[in-house]
Amino acid sequence: MTDFGIAGKIIRLQNFSDSRAIIEEEIKRGATTIVIVGNDETFGHVLSRAATCEILFGFLPVGDDNTIAGVLGIPVGVGACDILSHRRKVRLDVGWFNNRYFVSRLHILPSSITVEYDEKFQATAKDRMELVVCNLQPFEWESVGKDRYTIHPQDGKLEAFLRPITRQGWFRRPIFEEPSIFPFEEMVVSARSPFVVEADGKESKETKIKIKLARKKIEMIVGKERRF
Amino acid sequence: MFQKHHPQPVFTEPVQSNHTADDVETVVGPSVKVEGDFASEGNIVVKGTVTGSVKTSRMLTVENGAKIFANVRAENSVVAGGIKGNVKVSERLELSETAQIYGDIECKVLSVAPGALLYGKIMMKGISLVDESEKKEDKKRFLGKIKTEEEMMPPPVI
Repeated sequence: MTDFGIAGKIIRLQNFSDSRAIIEEEIKRGATTIVIVGNDETFGHVLSRAATCEILFGFLPVGDDNTIAGVLGIPVGVGACDILSHRRKVRLDVGWFNNRYFVSRLHILPSSITVEYDEKFQATAKDRMELVVCNLQPFEWESVGKDRYTIHPQDGKLEAFLRPITRQGWFRRPIFEEPSIFPFEEMVVSARSPFVVEADGKESKETKIKIKLARKKIEMIVGKERRF
Repeated sequence: MFQKHHPQPVFTEPVQSNHTADDVETVVGPSVKVEGDFASEGNIVVKGTVTGSVKTSRMLTVENGAKIFANVRAENSVVAGGIKGNVKVSERLELSETAQIYGDIECKVLSVAPGALLYGKIMMKGISLVDESEKKEDKKRFLGKIKTEEEMMPPPVI
């Protein structure tokens, strides 16, 4: 990084670190760019809290589980420093639900839910269904024939992937149907009993959530090979 | 021999998959039921059940086993399932062997495979056999019919 003239203060995050407070403190001290070093989990951990901070973000992917870096066009390893030094800036959309932001994806574990899209139509299934809303993290699934599918989300809208459970397999392992895909801007998920919501690695239990797209919220350094 | 070893930067490619579908389209799965005004800017693939209305400015694919209880509007459409409602396609409508349509059809180009079932009127634009005057006469006759029906109606009782 020093070869590219990139240097600055290094802050190590702990599990309970409030990234928003840390970044705001650094902005006051004169920081102009925040570089997140880590994998998808670190990226989500920092930006889910710090999405409201008015500062330029960079990303240096290190280690396994780096799917978001591919979407942003940032290679894992030394190549990322080259991308950082080029400072190609783009404003990215962020997902929002119940007063919280999510950057990678939101996951609702299989439950009996009703999904209403853009106040126009609603989708239901006979049995329980799983819902995944992708913002930057690609959605992957394996079909019955063991074929692997990957859908790379586009910027400008959120994509919801609904997978109803068709039957139970060995050891009560649920077998999912092929996903239904709905691009949307606003969605309401409701259920009679509480369901588990996992957003950027954090879990909570809700009975009704509203998911929206917050447009052009984060300014980010991206690569030329980005997927949007 | 004494040269410093510079490790080559490792560019890890994103996980290669058998299939990638970057143009995300709207897909209604086989056991999903959609109710309401179902509208999309992109392609729609229906494998389940839709009630209400379906509207897209691009391609609508109704797969075998899918059921639509709604009026449908699309640019192009390929139907292999069942539709109960009027179908308005601005360009090409293709009905395969398993297609069933209970309603009127309006399109520019129609392709019907043997075995497809239809119950309704078919209207296709671009017929040059009928003159404008004939069309006007048809309209007059139609309006006259409405007037006579109005005359036949008994006056409202006050």
